[in-house]
Amino acid sequence: MSIKIKKLLSDLQDYYILSFKGLIGIFRKPFYSKDVLDQMDYAGAGSFLIVMIVSLFIGMALSLQLSAELASLGLKMYTGKVVGISIIREVGPVTAALVYCGRVGAGMASELGSMIIGHQVDSLRVFGVDPIKKLVTPRILSSIVMLPALTIIGDAVALLGGYYIAVFVSHQSGYVYWSSIRDILDFENVFSGSIKPFMFGFLISSISCYMGLTTKGGAKGLRKSTTNAVVFSIIMIIISDFMLTRILLYLLGFSL
Amino acid sequence: MIVFEKVSFSYSENLILNNISFKIGEGEKVAILGGSGGGKTTILKLIVGLLKPDSGRIIIDGVDITDLEEDELMEVRRKFSIVFQDGALFDSLNVKENVAFCLREYTNMTEKEIDEKVDELLTIVGVEHAKYYMTDELSGGMHRRVAIARSLAVSKPKMFLYDEATTGLDPVNALNICNLINELSKNGTGHIIVTHRVIDALRVADRFIFLKDGQIVLDGDRSILLSSNISDVMIFLSELKQIS
Ligand SMILES: Nc1ncnc2c1ncn2[C@@H]1O[C@H](COP(=O)(O)OP(=O)(O)OP(=O)(O)O)[C@@H](O)[C@H]1O
Ligand SMILES: [Mg+2]
Repeated sequence: MSIKIKKLLSDLQDYYILSFKGLIGIFRKPFYSKDVLDQMDYAGAGSFLIVMIVSLFIGMALSLQLSAELASLGLKMYTGKVVGISIIREVGPVTAALVYCGRVGAGMASELGSMIIGHQVDSLRVFGVDPIKKLVTPRILSSIVMLPALTIIGDAVALLGGYYIAVFVSHQSGYVYWSSIRDILDFENVFSGSIKPFMFGFLISSISCYMGLTTKGGAKGLRKSTTNAVVFSIIMIIISDFMLTRILLYLLGFSL
Repeated sequence: MIVFEKVSFSYSENLILNNISFKIGEGEKVAILGGSGGGKTTILKLIVGLLKPDSGRIIIDGVDITDLEEDELMEVRRKFSIVFQDGALFDSLNVKENVAFCLREYTNMTEKEIDEKVDELLTIVGVEHAKYYMTDELSGGMHRRVAIARSLAVSKPKMFLYDEATTGLDPVNALNICNLINELSKNGTGHIIVTHRVIDALRVADRFIFLKDGQIVLDGDRSILLSSNISDVMIFLSELKQIS
């Protein structure tokens, strides 16, 4: 038992060191800009379409649910406001992060894991290349740039989906919908919605890189690290989302 | 230039090297022999600091590398050029980019110079036709050769380390690689070749270290190896006698 706890603590310490070094690597030479661009292309441009599709349907579903509920209370005109707040503050960032985690996080873990198994990481080390700078930093950097971008696009598409349902299915005024969206695009909402994806991007990429680089054994080890990368990332996204929300509400002076 | 002082190493509970000591001088041509799982690869990884010994000291060119940090090891690693057992080519890059890796990393060569240098290195190992292949399109022997070409791009190593450079190759290719190894070490560069093929060891080395059960049971030149009466060594040698 105590051995297990010790192991857990030392793993946690290794994770902190890796993610810290990976993060400060962004500001230290050498810069592997080609690797960063490659990662951005794969992670960002590659996830673009999925995030759009997922967000569109989530926006529509949310709008359907809320219009139905609000209509029965006679408060249809609030649909835009409620849909907008949920998407911008909560649903948009989390949805994009979960999609990103499933697609990119799993990919990072399995790619780095197979590089470990094939001794490619050892090769890098004997060539005098720091694997953290070469492999981890570009992935962290591209994630904290691309996930916020994806989130913004996802938010916009989800709001459009919500608009479609509100206007064409629930027969509300499009003008009211958009003007209530415009009202809620104030500093508080935009800030609390846009700080999250940075955090999520960092968590997903650092957890996935850590899992990949600590892969042991063959195909089975790879399966384990890929699964762990996704599972731990999801758990951390949800938990940190809650904590961030709590902190942000406090900081922005909302009373509960 | 390489000194092992009472080095022990284990993977979790599994003792791999037990209190091993040896010295390898600059320019020496050494073969490390021994059965599968005997810890030969482990020794190479200890030399370049990829693994840390449980106890004992490893000294490279007068520097004790046992407690060095990863970034302090860079200097030490640049003295070596290592070819891993499975080649360990970067599978996201094609052959040309694999060979060009160190050139891009450490030199300011122009694209044209890199291209010429890559051609030159690939010609040395005889796979110039595979320049634009991806690594999964290479046969085992080609893989090995490209790995050697890539390691040659390291500028002026003091010692080449080859892990099973000839294992699993046909006799002609094995001979070619042995000739290549000798060719590369002609001007005083040393090499350590790890192998369980005695024939190849005899072709390229003049000192032989035999590992068994985590210990060195034999360390000497050709005549000591050939006249050894240690049973495991004799089994390895019987392969030779059957041929001749
Ligand atoms: N990453 C690892 N984790 C745990 N045990 C390992 C690991 N790598 C090697 N071993 C064990 O260490 C021992 C020595 O391995 P090593 O690779 O040094 O052998 P070797 O002499 O190179 O064998 P071969 O001739 O088959 O290449 C083996 O018994 C192996 O099971
Ligand atoms: Mg080996």
